[in-house]
Amino acid sequence: MAVGTDSARVDAVDKVTGLALYPADAVPKDALHAVVVFTNQPHARLVSMDLSKTVASPGVVTVVTAADVPVNEYGLTLFDQPVFIGLDDTGRSSVPCDVSRWEADHLVVVVAESLSEARRASALIDTEWEPLPMASDVASAKADEILVHPGSSTNTYHTLQIRKGDAVLGMEAADVIIEGTYELPHQEHAYLQVEAATAWIDEQDRVTVETSGQWVHEDREQIAHALAVDEEEVRVRYAAIGGAFGGKEDMSLQIVMAVTARKLGALGINRSVHCGWSREESIVGHHKRHRATVTARLGATSEGFITAVEADVWLDAGAYNYTSNKVLGNLHLSVAGAYNVPNARIDSRAIYTHSVPGGAFRGFGGPQGAFVAESQMNKLASKLGMDPMELRQRNALTDLSDGITQSGLPEGVGVTRVIDACVERVPPSEELPEYPPFSPIASLPAKAEQLRQGRGYAVGMKNVGFSFGFPEACEADVVFHGDADEERPNRVELFHSAAEVGQGVHTALTQMVAYAVGLDFESVDGFFSDTSTGGDSGSASASRLTFMAGNSVLGAVEEAEKAWADGARPAAGHFRYKPPMTEALDPETGEGQPNFCYGYMAQAVDLTVDVGTGHIRVDRVVSVHDVGKAIHPQMLRGQIEGAIAQAHGYTLSEQLVVENGRIQNPRLSQYLIPGIGDVPARVDCVILEAADPLGPWGARGVSEMPYITYAPAVTAALYDAAGIWINKFPLTPSVVLEHLASAEI
Amino acid sequence: MNAEESYEIRLKVNGRTQHVTAPARRLLSDALRGELGLTGTHVGCEHGVCGCCTVLVDGAPVRSCLTFAVAVQDKDIRTVEGLAAGDGELHPVQEAFKECHGLQCGFCTPGFLMTACALIEQNNDPTEQEITEAIAGNLCRCTGYQNIRAAVRRAAEITRSDKR
Ligand code: FES
Ligand code: FES
Repeated sequence: MAVGTDSARVDAVDKVTGLALYPADAVPKDALHAVVVFTNQPHARLVSMDLSKTVASPGVVTVVTAADVPVNEYGLTLFDQPVFIGLDDTGRSSVPCDVSRWEADHLVVVVAESLSEARRASALIDTEWEPLPMASDVASAKADEILVHPGSSTNTYHTLQIRKGDAVLGMEAADVIIEGTYELPHQEHAYLQVEAATAWIDEQDRVTVETSGQWVHEDREQIAHALAVDEEEVRVRYAAIGGAFGGKEDMSLQIVMAVTARKLGALGINRSVHCGWSREESIVGHHKRHRATVTARLGATSEGFITAVEADVWLDAGAYNYTSNKVLGNLHLSVAGAYNVPNARIDSRAIYTHSVPGGAFRGFGGPQGAFVAESQMNKLASKLGMDPMELRQRNALTDLSDGITQSGLPEGVGVTRVIDACVERVPPSEELPEYPPFSPIASLPAKAEQLRQGRGYAVGMKNVGFSFGFPEACEADVVFHGDADEERPNRVELFHSAAEVGQGVHTALTQMVAYAVGLDFESVDGFFSDTSTGGDSGSASASRLTFMAGNSVLGAVEEAEKAWADGARPAAGHFRYKPPMTEALDPETGEGQPNFCYGYMAQAVDLTVDVGTGHIRVDRVVSVHDVGKAIHPQMLRGQIEGAIAQAHGYTLSEQLVVENGRIQNPRLSQYLIPGIGDVPARVDCVILEAADPLGPWGARGVSEMPYITYAPAVTAALYDAAGIWINKFPLTPSVVLEHLASAEI
Repeated sequence: MNAEESYEIRLKVNGRTQHVTAPARRLLSDALRGELGLTGTHVGCEHGVCGCCTVLVDGAPVRSCLTFAVAVQDKDIRTVEGLAAGDGELHPVQEAFKECHGLQCGFCTPGFLMTACALIEQNNDPTEQEITEAIAGNLCRCTGYQNIRAAVRRAAEITRSDKR
């Protein structure tokens, strides 16, 4: 099966027959059931906790608390969160454990014979809390009067800056200056499979956790850290994963369930333990796309050449860092857009608040940055009366650009390519086609005079792979099978940890191996996502797996070919792919090479707005992507269409309400993700294949790319239709009406 | 009936009658998944919004998370496990979702398959509008629905050609 052609997914039959087992499906018959009790306290000190009634409750086997975690701390990049809040921790934690800073901090795991018994016993926990003052948003946290982590003197715990040229002089040289303050909202991942895990002690005495996540080796590392054991004593494997989108990158049940299994083992109870979250527990209990406030200025000459960019970014990290420092980096890089900017001052800050942590979510800061950069460019075009794509073409980054971090860009910059292709497909001068009239409510037919059509554009770029000097790598193992006298292997086994979150990576890797070895698809057997069989692949994130895992399997095949040629039967090949090293940015100037590869995208959005009701319908999206090489075109289009649907929800309907550190709408009936009737009526994917010099067969990555530019393209189309700029979203009917009213349209 | 007390409930699932001992308020979704081990029926929201838990009851799509098991005693219940033929041959909706990549993570898929199956068994030549309306109550967070729509169209096509 050649790369560049469409094969059936390796997991398709299991998924259409109901045989695919997600983490809540493969629960052993004799498993114990666990409930994770949240503190339900956005900021309070635990004064006392009495578990005696819980322990005495029928069916209860044990309770697990801070006392059971050898090193009671967690964090993907900073250890700033206790695994459990409690009064009796071991003292080996870098963060005080008696204070709850988030409503979903964990307090106790109750283990019982049945789920109903565990639930009943959970309700009997007797706690006394001393309420503490709240700094629940950026505005209240900025003053540092209330500290989220009192160990430090400020809530503003991570800052980045760019100083390029002279932004003051650059602004003075400008003929026009565009200024705006942008409010970026939270977003809930709303993967349909909520968190669940089963844990046990395996036959080799390893603490074993089966769950769904994005990176088995990271899960293992975090568990081993908390348990203070060697990583070899922990095994993590993934069941089928029902969506992740960044929301399963941080730990949910991994550590607490490992601690629970260990405690059961120590009590001599040789049974598995299972826990599954409800939808409400899932929404309350995991991080969100960050909310942020960005104030930006863009200076340009009357010919549309950018003279300077200034930006102040405030990223609400919530109570714990999660990956906020990294997300901030991406937002920081993208806030000036995909353009040549001779002078820049950008100050970006992540700030702790007593609120839900922000963390990874498809795009990882990119959608927030691009909303600012592209809104500014669209406003500039309109102010100058210029074609918005011509304006972008004049300023587009190229292979010769120094970039915002003054270090040049990885070869193969595709900004002008995607702009050209987008303009060719959707010329800005072209009349909008007539789309059918619409009304969201069938009994209220739209009034034709209230319908306005508009078109908007946006352009962007997004890194592929980990950034800022992270030791990026991906491992693969293959084994060739065949007889000693055979010239070629007849069967290959592939061992890889890449997480199949739905994107199709297991299919793509199988296809790549089959093609590289010259076998058919069915002759490759994949064994995936188990720390006991596969090397460290890194995470299913940053649009990195096609590039990174693709290169790793190519390397492993090459190694196995050598062994095969030397006569080894079976012939094994192991490879650890490492891309060019990236750099952390200079703390003063922001200079450095943060990334080794980018994907490039441009979008045109046509929409209709009913100015009487404020409803928006997106009629067509043209999404242009330079992907390097489409390994599996049909799955690639699936990524584009899926990302646009999620970005559509982000832009138009998804509104997470958080008040005083508490999520007010943790249900899918209250938090509205798009259905088939809501998504754009038509999505046209335009795939460009300018090979990346380092990508496998030239492939870059695509999974996040369509997300980046969608919101600003929609707001530009809304301006085109109705003459209003909206600097925040979701663009709910009430928000649209409010803006229309103040603009008197 | 008493909420705590257990009762014997007769469930006819995929053509087989089975007995389940459960409290009166046992949801059909829990009975299928827990008591009968039919975990192909997924639970995504627990209150009727996502459609992941859709099964067919006497041929009509029903949200098993909103249905008490006792309420469907002796009715014909069909789950995703009952779609393929005994020899493993895929049902046209399964074949079509596979062929058209109507799935990514696959968590929503059983619900879509059952909903599409009900549509196509009633009407094997649905219009685009009828397809949209039939699946408008099922959520998918991964695909953007384009391939799901194509898969339903394709399933109807396979069904029509099978009939010929
Ligand atoms: S689980 Fe039944 S509709 Fe969502
Ligand atoms: S395929 Fe993942 S929710 Fe539909």
